[in-house]
Amino acid sequence: MENKVKEFKNLEKWQGTLANCIRCGYCFEHCPLFKHTGWESDAPRSKIITAFGLLSGELEPTEAAAHKLFSCFYCKRCEAACSSGVPLTEIFTDAKKDLLEMGLEGPGTTSITKLSCARCLICVGACPHEARSFDGKNIVTDPSKCQACGICIEVCPAGAATIENTFGTGRDELIKQASEFLESHEAAKAIVFACNWSYYPELQASELPESETFDKQYEILVNMCGGRLEPHLLMAPFLHNAHGVMVACCPDDECEHGGNLRAKKIVESLHNTFKTLDIDPSRVQLVQIPAGDKTLFQAEIDTFVDHLNNLGPIR
Amino acid sequence: MKTIDEATLKQIVGEHNILTDPSDLYAYGSDSSVHHALPWAVVRPETTEQVQEIMRYANKNLIPVIARGGGSGMCGQTVPINGGIMLDMKGMNKILEINLEDVYCRVQPGVVDDDLNLALKQYGVFYPPTPASSRIATIGGEIANNASGVRSVKYGATRDAVLGMKVVLPNGDLVSLGARTRVEASGYQLHKLMIGSEGTLGIVVEATLSFVPIPEYRCMGVANFDSLKDAGDAIGSIMASGAIPSMLELVDSVAIKAVNKTMDLGLKEVAAALIFEADGMVKEAVDYEIEKMRGICEKHNGKDIYASYDPKERAKIFLGRKKLFPALSKYDDNLASTSLADDMAVPYSKMAEMAGKIHEIADRHNIVMTAYGHCGSGCMHTKILMDTKRKDQWQSAKKAITEVYDYVRSVNGTTSAEHGIGLSKAESFKIEKSDSLQLLAAIKTALDPNNILNPGKLAQAPENWVTATNLRYSVNS
Repeated sequence: MENKVKEFKNLEKWQGTLANCIRCGYCFEHCPLFKHTGWESDAPRSKIITAFGLLSGELEPTEAAAHKLFSCFYCKRCEAACSSGVPLTEIFTDAKKDLLEMGLEGPGTTSITKLSCARCLICVGACPHEARSFDGKNIVTDPSKCQACGICIEVCPAGAATIENTFGTGRDELIKQASEFLESHEAAKAIVFACNWSYYPELQASELPESETFDKQYEILVNMCGGRLEPHLLMAPFLHNAHGVMVACCPDDECEHGGNLRAKKIVESLHNTFKTLDIDPSRVQLVQIPAGDKTLFQAEIDTFVDHLNNLGPIR
Repeated sequence: MKTIDEATLKQIVGEHNILTDPSDLYAYGSDSSVHHALPWAVVRPETTEQVQEIMRYANKNLIPVIARGGGSGMCGQTVPINGGIMLDMKGMNKILEINLEDVYCRVQPGVVDDDLNLALKQYGVFYPPTPASSRIATIGGEIANNASGVRSVKYGATRDAVLGMKVVLPNGDLVSLGARTRVEASGYQLHKLMIGSEGTLGIVVEATLSFVPIPEYRCMGVANFDSLKDAGDAIGSIMASGAIPSMLELVDSVAIKAVNKTMDLGLKEVAAALIFEADGMVKEAVDYEIEKMRGICEKHNGKDIYASYDPKERAKIFLGRKKLFPALSKYDDNLASTSLADDMAVPYSKMAEMAGKIHEIADRHNIVMTAYGHCGSGCMHTKILMDTKRKDQWQSAKKAITEVYDYVRSVNGTTSAEHGIGLSKAESFKIEKSDSLQLLAAIKTALDPNNILNPGKLAQAPENWVTATNLRYSVNS
């Protein structure tokens, strides 16, 4: 195959690295997009293959190809796990820059701003990645900088900031998943909202027989950054008789989006609300889990579920 | 490019289970091999009936069908050399039954190996074949390749753990092969025929697998060697001694250097190291095996020998081996690790010579090769590390591979131990099986008269693997 490096000025420097990726696919298990869609072409390895195809000229730069590369929550678990040392998200970002120059924007997971925007500019200041700015008329997002953490969505008072392609991590999707679990499992006690860094996946892509899961007491739902959690989302499971809700996020100085501090504040305010309602505030708990520490994560869940079993349902 | 009737396929599996965009097809054209070719559509069936309908449609219209699991194959088994429908079996991912009373489980083909073992663990049992890629490898893919892994020395390969299966034939018929019992002598063992057939004879839609108890005790040891020959001789002696290791792995200096570049495991950069493990329900029995292997390593000049029961220590010893395959890319920033000459098996007595031969051939052709593998099973792995941009390196690699496999066959070894043949190992496979190629073709024709199941693989693979498909690397002319 002939080498045809052309317009991909930023991606070009990764040519050697793209060859060094041995395409083992061990990154699949870490990717929330793959876990949601089940399509290999949404997994990190496929983004590397896509980047190679674009760079080599074997794959035409199209909206669909761009959508693949713009779809990433930058949890970076794939690159943390990559023994070939491939800096995947840096490659995706450079590919995004080149695609943007060609007028291709995804849509991917880039956050957007709807017409209901009041131009209060809160999101501009809150964006930890300096991806949002005001162009004199509207709030605009730089898709090459946006890491889809969703902080803008959480701070937007008008509900105008949004991510269209949420791959199962959107508020409504999470509420639906939580209610489905709580309604269909008699022993269900808790919903655990975990940022993708905190959450070490159990089953990667397989389903257990019903006989193995009917007595499940909790469900783990990945919400990407803890900073995206809204009180409305955390309260929703209680409408379906949850005994408690746990929030798992990164330790204080380890969150790339500053979302864990935000999550803390939200949980604190919920505690106050619970006290007012005379409900034990310990039914909402926040735990901080270093990336990939599944032992600690499991221990925290077990302790929490035991605690909820002692408390019983909310009366 | 031949077209497919997208509407018909959508009708069978639903709109959400088909991909035809070029960017999706491009991604599905790769696996972990050096090859790349485009399918015409990716279709994800969720039921056996859907697989049957797809096969009926494909058989009638003479469209190739390639079943795919995790896409972790190293020889191009799932690269659609003639295009066609890529059947993404990950949509059939249910563990159907765990039957502790009769000691079997039933799973759909898309179940991931590690997921199955996670489900079994709570009952104190495990499914042993487990290749290093178990985090993404599916049971269907493992059956297609007769996969095995580090514990095959004691527990065997996939063929030893599969009791039976349901298979959809190219004409859409569903057949049940094998049994749910430990033994079966009821005629042809047709389920065994499917194992290792690389998706060329039928589509496995359900498998009945046996499992074994998780041992109470596991002890893992490591021994360093100043010469590759000493390490190889130690392997031969251990296996000939009647010792029963549950793992016996070789890693050479190239592998050790690569691991040290990616992880701080404090590995000594010696010529070779052996990792050995014994397991069992009684500690004294495990001690006996470990001491036996330790003694043999010492006799063959092994040094820095230590062994541990501590799970953390064991995990540390084994982590480097587990992550070796991806780590090889870090050996030298200018060299990429390619899945070429990736596996073979030789008799125990030839293990030392084989390892030496690999390095000798690599040196002669100005490429880097590494020797490692589950040597307790006779399985040797290697990879070719080269500058993939240089055309001359590909020519050197081709010559080196031919020489490696010429040697393997000359000592009564076999072309593949556990990775399969696909495209890139077909040259040696065809020479090795020259007197049974007609028989293989007759079996293929009997089951798949229209040659729609994974055509162009195994005995049908093109003579020259370099030109068989696009290479997935940019090569300067």
